[in-house]
Amino acid sequence: MSGTQFRQLLKREFEERKRRNPRYSLRAFAAFLNTDHSTLSQIFRGKRKFTTDQIRRWGKKVGMSREEVAAYVAAQHVPDPSVVKRQEQLRHWTAEALAIVTDRRHWQILRLSGKRGFQGDCRWLAEQMGIGVDDVNVAMSRLLRLGLLEIGKAGTWKALLGSGRVTEKEFLRRALIRVRELAAEDGVELRERTIHSSH
Amino acid sequence: MGNPVMQFQILSKSPDATARFYSELFGWSVDANNPLGYREIKTGCGEGIQGGIWPAPAQASNFVQLFVAVEDVAESAKRAQELGAKVIIPPTGLPDGGELAVLHDPEGMSFGLMKKM
Repeated sequence: MSGTQFRQLLKREFEERKRRNPRYSLRAFAAFLNTDHSTLSQIFRGKRKFTTDQIRRWGKKVGMSREEVAAYVAAQHVPDPSVVKRQEQLRHWTAEALAIVTDRRHWQILRLSGKRGFQGDCRWLAEQMGIGVDDVNVAMSRLLRLGLLEIGKAGTWKALLGSGRVTEKEFLRRALIRVRELAAEDGVELRERTIHSSH
Repeated sequence: MGNPVMQFQILSKSPDATARFYSELFGWSVDANNPLGYREIKTGCGEGIQGGIWPAPAQASNFVQLFVAVEDVAESAKRAQELGAKVIIPPTGLPDGGELAVLHDPEGMSFGLMKKM
């Protein structure tokens, strides 16, 4: 929230005062709040954030109860939904990249899908790999999400790894490039040294 | 044909625990004896829709998806994209000959398209 709602409340209070007295100025409202008008102007334009102390003092000035002030102070510490969304996207793509790096099951599924005698049955895959069916399905879903595996209408499994002979190391490289490309579509930049959101 | 909601799907990081909870609470039966190891839920009632449980990856929250029946999964996914949706899992064959796709609607909510055999 980062003070958005408190800013709106102050603006409403200011507009109400102007409605009652058209000559009422921002300078007069700033004086009422015991601050300077440039500070208040920056706050109104979203160029400056509130401090907790300002919310307490100004809330009291405009007639808010202690409980109302407490709600606005608490809201100030809740991140904006846009920030939360960016963090979730960053967490998601980082987790996808790490899963590819740390979990060999992705490679094993693709390798098995190209073997003679392959069965498009997750129970069979689980048995071959010595893991649970849920583990197969989590890895298979990730491969589908990343566009590294295709399961056709006829139930045929096809690894989508590009041309040439693909070793496990090469799979890792191509899979991570794919993760990076998809993350970039979400505005998340995964780099070698830094991971950040480009929004 | 119309496009009815065919199925609900619970994505759970602890699918066994989820299956146990809803079975005990509602008396639903859960059967995973199929090629996907998919926990198919039978609510035991002709009313409403049936469902399933799929394992969620560690980084995801638990959530529920609705699957809508369509005639052509690829065509509907394309149309959804034109309307602002994002394809998460492209049209994918199912062992029983059906097909599904998973998308995010323009508000980021996950839903599925399904053609059952």
